[in-house]
Amino acid sequence: MTPAVDASPLSDLLAGARPEGWEALRAAAEARLAGQALPDTGMEDWKYLDLALLHGPAFRPAAPAVPTTASADIQPYIHPEMMATRQVFVNGFHAPHASCATGLPPGVRFFPISAASEACRLLGTLGEGAPDFFEDLNTARFTEGAVLLVPQNVRVEVPLHLLFLSRSAGDGTVPTMLPRLLVALDRGAELELVEEHHGEGTYLSCPVVEIRVAEGAILRHERIQRESTEAFHFSALKAEVARGGQYHSRTLSFGGRLSRQRPRIRLAEGAEATLDGLALLGGNQVADTHSFLHHAEPHGTSRQLHKCVVDGQARAIFNGQVRVAPGAQVTDAQQQSRNLLLSEKARVDTKPQLEIYADDVKCSHGAAVGQLDPDELFYLQSRGLDPEDARNLLTYGFAADLLARIPVASLRRSLRHLVLARTQAASLGDLA
Amino acid sequence: MLSIKNLTASINGTPVLKGIDLEIKAGEIHAIMGPNGSGKSTLGKVLVGHPSYEVTGGEVTFEGRDLFALEADERARAGLFMGFQHPIEVPGVSNAAFLRLAYNKKAEAEGRDELDPLEFDDFIREKIKLVSMKEEFLDRSLNEGFSGGEKKRNEILQMAVLEPKLAILDELDSGLDIDALRVLGDAVNQLMRPERALLVITHFPRILETIRPQYVHVLSGGRILKSAGPELAVELEERGYDWVLEEAAAGGRR
Repeated sequence: MTPAVDASPLSDLLAGARPEGWEALRAAAEARLAGQALPDTGMEDWKYLDLALLHGPAFRPAAPAVPTTASADIQPYIHPEMMATRQVFVNGFHAPHASCATGLPPGVRFFPISAASEACRLLGTLGEGAPDFFEDLNTARFTEGAVLLVPQNVRVEVPLHLLFLSRSAGDGTVPTMLPRLLVALDRGAELELVEEHHGEGTYLSCPVVEIRVAEGAILRHERIQRESTEAFHFSALKAEVARGGQYHSRTLSFGGRLSRQRPRIRLAEGAEATLDGLALLGGNQVADTHSFLHHAEPHGTSRQLHKCVVDGQARAIFNGQVRVAPGAQVTDAQQQSRNLLLSEKARVDTKPQLEIYADDVKCSHGAAVGQLDPDELFYLQSRGLDPEDARNLLTYGFAADLLARIPVASLRRSLRHLVLARTQAASLGDLA
Repeated sequence: MLSIKNLTASINGTPVLKGIDLEIKAGEIHAIMGPNGSGKSTLGKVLVGHPSYEVTGGEVTFEGRDLFALEADERARAGLFMGFQHPIEVPGVSNAAFLRLAYNKKAEAEGRDELDPLEFDDFIREKIKLVSMKEEFLDRSLNEGFSGGEKKRNEILQMAVLEPKLAILDELDSGLDIDALRVLGDAVNQLMRPERALLVITHFPRILETIRPQYVHVLSGGRILKSAGPELAVELEERGYDWVLEEAAAGGRR
C-alpha cells in the first residue's frame, strides 16, 4: 500500500506552483514525495521517532516577517564577535536589514539563494544516500536561503554567523520554513561558521545545508539548535570533503518538541572530519541524530563524540553509521556515544553502526548509557560538595565538556549558562 | 584531633584493615609507611568516606565527633582532606570554578564570607604561586589531561584553598620528579600550623626528607606493626620492609 501524498498533513505545502529554478531537482523530489506519506515508526529509520504529532495541525508556508519588528527582536541573538559578519533569517526569509557583512574579507561572496541562478550547479549534487521526507520537502519547495562562497586560499578570520529566527503564526496554523544553504570553500580556504536556530511557539523548520570543502580547505561548523520546545526541526546536512580537506562540526541540540539531525559526510583521500554532538533534553522532547560518515577513499580520519543528557520523559536517539569503503585503507575512525539518563522515564536508544569493507583500518566505537560515575561523585564530595551539588556539577560538566572549544566567547558563555540552567547547576553559582 | 580505635574495614567482603589504633594530635605530622597492598591507602580512603569500603568495626573520632556519623562531604567541611594518589578527571568543569565552589561551600559551612569570582581570582592567583602552577591550569577542566605531576600539584592547591585541619596525603611523591616533589613538600610545610595535623601515606621514605614526621608507623596486612620516631624512616630506607614484617611475625608488635 502506498498512500498518496494527500495522506500527509504536509501536503498543503506542496500545493500551488513549483517555485522557480532547479526544475529537475525539484521535480525529482516531488516525484519521490508523491509516492509516500509521512514517515511512521514502522520504517526502520523512524522506528523511535514518532511523528504522530504532525498529524493534526495545518502546516502553511511561513510568511516573511515585518522588518521593523524584527530588528529589536534580533538584538538578543547578536554576538559582538560576529557583529559585522552576520546573516539573519526570519521565518526562513533572509532579512537584509538585520544582516551585516562588512566584516567579511574581499572575495567572500554571500547572497540569498533567490539571487543564485540555476548556474549554481552544486546545489542538490552534494552528499550521498537517499534524501529523507523532509529533505525532499525542502528541495521541492524551498524559496529562501543563501549561498556562501569562499575563494581559493582565503582564510576568513572572523566567524560567520547564520542566525535563523522563527515564530509561530498566531492563527493556529503551523508556519513551515524550508531554508536552503550552500556553503562552498575553494582550495585552501578556511572558514568558521556558526549556524544558530532560535524560535518561539509552534512551527516546522526543515533546513537543508549543503557543503563542499575543496582540497586542503578547512571548515569549522558550529550548529546550535535552540528551537522552541513546541517546534519541529528536521535538518539535513550533506557535506563533501575533498582530498586533504577538513570538516569539523559540533551540533548542539537543546530545543524542539521533535527534532532530527541528519548529517551525511563523504570523505575523500586524507580528509578529516569531526562530527560531535550534544542533545540536552527534558520534558517530553524527542531528539534524533542519524549520522552517516563515509570514508570513501584511503587515509581519512574521523572523530565522532555524541553525548545525550536526558531528563523528564524525554527521549534521545542516536544512529551513527560509519562506512569504510572497499579500498579506503589506513582509515582512522573513532566513534563514541555517551549518554546520561537523569530520570526514571528518560530514554536513550543508541546504535553505532560500523560497516568496514577495507582491512587496513583503525576503527573503534563505543556506547555507554548510564548514570554518573560514583568515583567522580565521591571526589567532589571529598572536597565538601554535598551529593546533590556534586551530581549537578557532574551533569553540567558532562554536557559542558562539548562547549569548551567553541571559538566565540560570548556564544560559549551563553551556552554554558543555558546548560547550567538545564542541569539544575545554576544554584552552584556562575561556573561559566 | 583524630582518634582511631581498633578500626576494621573491608572491600567487597574482604577484610583490608584488621584493627588499627592511631592517635593524631594538633601540630603533629605522622607518616604511614608500608609495602604495596598493606592497606595504607585504604586507611586514608576509609577515613574520608570512600563508598567502596565498608567499616566493619572500631571507632574513629575527629575533633571529638564520631567520624562515621558524617557523610564524606560533611567530613570535608569539618576540616578533613585527602590528597589522592590518583585524582579523578572531571571534564567540562573548569578548575577555577570548581575550586571557588569548594571554597565557598566550606566558607558557608564555617559562617565566613563567600568570594565572588573577582575576589576569588585574586585569592587563587596567590595560592597557585605556592604550588608553582601555571595560570592556564585554572581555566582547564578539573584534572582533565593533566600529567600525574600536575594532578598532584592540583591536589595540594586544593589543600591550600580548603585549609583543612587534618590533611591525609596519599603517595604524594608518585608521578613527581625531584624538583616538583620539593616544591609540593615545601608547600605542604608552609600550610602546616600548630592547630593542624598531617598524615602522610607513602611507600618510599624520600618525601619524608621534605615533610618531616614526628611519628612513623609501618602498616602491613591491615595492621600497624611498628611505630617509632623519624629514625624509623631512615632505617626503612636502608633496610626495606622485610625485617619489620619478620620481627612482627616473631614477636608480635614491638
